[in-house]
Amino acid sequence: MTTLIAKTITKACVPIIILFSISLLLAGHNYPGGGFIGGVMFTSAISLLYIVFGLRYMDSLYRYQWEKWFAVGLLISTLTGIGAMAFRYSFLRSTYLTVSLPLLGDIKLLSTTFFDIGVYLVVTGSLLFVFKTMGEDE
Amino acid sequence: MAAILPAAERVLKNRVGWYAAAVALICLLLVAQALPAVVNGETVTGSFPWIPSLQVELSFYGDGLSVMFGLIVSGIGILIMSYSNEYMSKREDLSRYYRYLLMFMGSMLGMVFSSNAIQLFVFWELTSITSFMLIGYWRNRPMSVYGATKSLLVTAGGGIFMLAGFLLLGIITGTFDIVTILQNGSMIALIKGHELFLPALVLIIIGAAAKSAQGPFYIWLPNAMEAPTPVSAFLHSATMVKAGIYLVARIHPIFSGTEAWFVLVGGLGIITMLAAGFLAFRQTDIKGILAYSTISQLAYMMAMYGYTSYQYPGIGVTAATFHLLNHATFKACLFLVAGIVAHETATRDITKMGGLRKELPATFIIGAIAALSMAGVPPLNGFLSKEMFYESSLEMGHILGGPFEYLIPAAAVLGGAFTFAYSIRFIDGIFLGKRRSEHLPKHMHEPTPVMLFPPALLAALVILIGIFPSAAVHYIIEPAASGILLEDVQLHVSLWHGFTAALLMTIITFIAGAALYARYGAIAAWQDRVSARYPAWSFNSLYDRIVNGASGKSTAFAKVMQPGPLSPYLIAMLLIFLLLSAVPVIMIAGTLIPTELNLEVPMYEAVLLGLIILASLGTAVLRKYLHAIIAVSAVGYLVSLVFIYLQAPDLAITQLLVETLATIIFLLVIIKVPQTFREKITRSVLARDLLISSAVSITVLILLLNASQGIVSPFESLSYYFIENSVPLAGGHNMVNVILVDFRGYDTLGEIVVLCLAGLGVYNLLKSRSDSK
Repeated sequence: MTTLIAKTITKACVPIIILFSISLLLAGHNYPGGGFIGGVMFTSAISLLYIVFGLRYMDSLYRYQWEKWFAVGLLISTLTGIGAMAFRYSFLRSTYLTVSLPLLGDIKLLSTTFFDIGVYLVVTGSLLFVFKTMGEDE
Repeated sequence: MAAILPAAERVLKNRVGWYAAAVALICLLLVAQALPAVVNGETVTGSFPWIPSLQVELSFYGDGLSVMFGLIVSGIGILIMSYSNEYMSKREDLSRYYRYLLMFMGSMLGMVFSSNAIQLFVFWELTSITSFMLIGYWRNRPMSVYGATKSLLVTAGGGIFMLAGFLLLGIITGTFDIVTILQNGSMIALIKGHELFLPALVLIIIGAAAKSAQGPFYIWLPNAMEAPTPVSAFLHSATMVKAGIYLVARIHPIFSGTEAWFVLVGGLGIITMLAAGFLAFRQTDIKGILAYSTISQLAYMMAMYGYTSYQYPGIGVTAATFHLLNHATFKACLFLVAGIVAHETATRDITKMGGLRKELPATFIIGAIAALSMAGVPPLNGFLSKEMFYESSLEMGHILGGPFEYLIPAAAVLGGAFTFAYSIRFIDGIFLGKRRSEHLPKHMHEPTPVMLFPPALLAALVILIGIFPSAAVHYIIEPAASGILLEDVQLHVSLWHGFTAALLMTIITFIAGAALYARYGAIAAWQDRVSARYPAWSFNSLYDRIVNGASGKSTAFAKVMQPGPLSPYLIAMLLIFLLLSAVPVIMIAGTLIPTELNLEVPMYEAVLLGLIILASLGTAVLRKYLHAIIAVSAVGYLVSLVFIYLQAPDLAITQLLVETLATIIFLLVIIKVPQTFREKITRSVLARDLLISSAVSITVLILLLNASQGIVSPFESLSYYFIENSVPLAGGHNMVNVILVDFRGYDTLGEIVVLCLAGLGVYNLLKSRSDSK
């Protein structure tokens, strides 16, 4: 049902969408974006692959275990919270650090970025896990 | 030191049993490090803020009692994990086994070193959950699953009662820190005088009794014997079941010295001791005998901690604490011996055994030492603590006076006689007498040193503590008892202290126990007859009735609440919405339609709104799924355009992406279903739906019209706080995201947990469906 055009465009677009989703994730703190949106965007990219190329074909390339993604994501988010406790702050207390780097200027390093990455992984992992399970059900 | 414990908990990813044993050894060393300070009467503490606004801290506290438990947990943990190396078949899922064991050990250590009540509750329930996983370790055996479920329902359910009790304590004192309460005499006086004293005490004791299998809650422990034997040795004799005893000891200074305490704790202990000791007779499973003996031994400790009066609040504390240590040594040893026997004979039925002393001489000696210690035979450690039990029973009876002067010591002696009888049964049934070769394998041999050494070490401890009690008493019991009584305790324990009343009681116990043992078979047969005649007369059948009844009730409930088709849910939701919004709107808004309305709508908005209305009409009217879905997506995309127009890019992106995904899922699903609506909508249904939907839309319209007229003015807008603080506090310019990951980070964490669970839920649903096909 998918045409050559769809396949070619998908191949070209998916990496761009993924990069865009990562940039959304990292930009989230100051501009529109964030872990949730980035995760959903990543999911869309992968589901595009699934739809255009089919689940079997994707599986034959590499069997992704999305459940590991959300496990890792949840771990990262939780550890971010506990990490604050290690510095004797309350759970999930965030902090940031401004660093001056050559060429890039002032950059804020945020502890919440890790939390966001965790959210991103959980969103991606669980949505794709559901997708794949439903797809395999036939 | 305590700060490292959670770190040790995280070292769970392991492969081999020796690694697990090493972790336990590290824990033991860490705990032992606190020993010198504790012996000198000091305490070790460490804390982290956790939920500061609720005064819940992650704080750890080590006193004599905690350290004694820590030593028992990690020390026996080492032996169990090394023993398991040989006991567990190499084909088993060992990684899972040791992971559960270590998780259990971590939560147990966390619990005994908790100084905060809420934290104690969390670790407490963690031990219940890990115990559940360990009992159900052989998950394809129905009995394991049954036992695991039972233990979880009883112990974790009891934990909820305990939490309620802690909350009452928190209400009375204003703090959840147990140590603060303990160190503050006026607070304890306040609790004892408070009207919530009795409810709090009862609730906490229910939790403790459920965990320690006391009273009617004992039923879970025999079924827990489905766990692998090392697990039973660890959890169901030496450590977890003692958590309830630990709790009783921990709160002893707060509640003891009152009649309620004596009646509840002491009374519960005495009754359970007698009942469990008696019921042990009809057990034929060697682990079943040990389970009932554990229940009755725990009841000894309960009874002793319960001995209290206004003048002498802690009569049995030292005896109970000493017995706690001794019980951990001899009972773990007995379980390990039972494990060896079951391993070699491939059965756990004691009626099929006998005469094993020839094949398994070393096991026989070790088992006999432990069982005799349980029976209270000198010079083993069980004898010492049982003497102390009798002494404190005499003292308690003397203080109460009246008929209790004789009743309490008599109950103690009777409990001891039961203990003596089933201890002898354990030795005699397995090792002595004739060999019944038709049931047993031809060639049996002693286990390897890996399996033999842990019980041998415990048996050696049993003898050592019995003959030279002073070291154990000085380094472990005295600090622990001081920790409970909050004063310096000096003890003098020795094997021989003259011909006392307690010694006389011991002699009576032995004679009575021997007499009981002579009639052992007859008593067991009588019990069997009674239980066969009145099968409904047990707590077990009550439990089964409740649990099975609950599943039937919930099915009936679900049929009403979750009928299946989508429309009842929607109707219910919309009606509730009407109730919750229409009523307040009518009450707050003076006029339904405000007079000053701004009806100037820019052209873009008007066009967008027109399109949205058109698309929504389309969803309602179109007769084919594909068309309807496209119309729904069109609504979604148009709404996201509105968001862009109103300068809410975050919302717009989210809406756009979610809409895309939803459309994809819809399209995937409709491939499987017929392309057109089949069902005919009757006139009455149509009328009902029209009525509800128009009522809802009119409400929303009025709500929105009034919203611009200041209907929400009683509440101040929250957004100013976030606008002011998002950059200085969280360092981010995108307020929406800052709220998500920082100000409301807890919410987000909860949401992603829900997302993970939803993913697993979908997986299980689809998986179980394809399995049942």
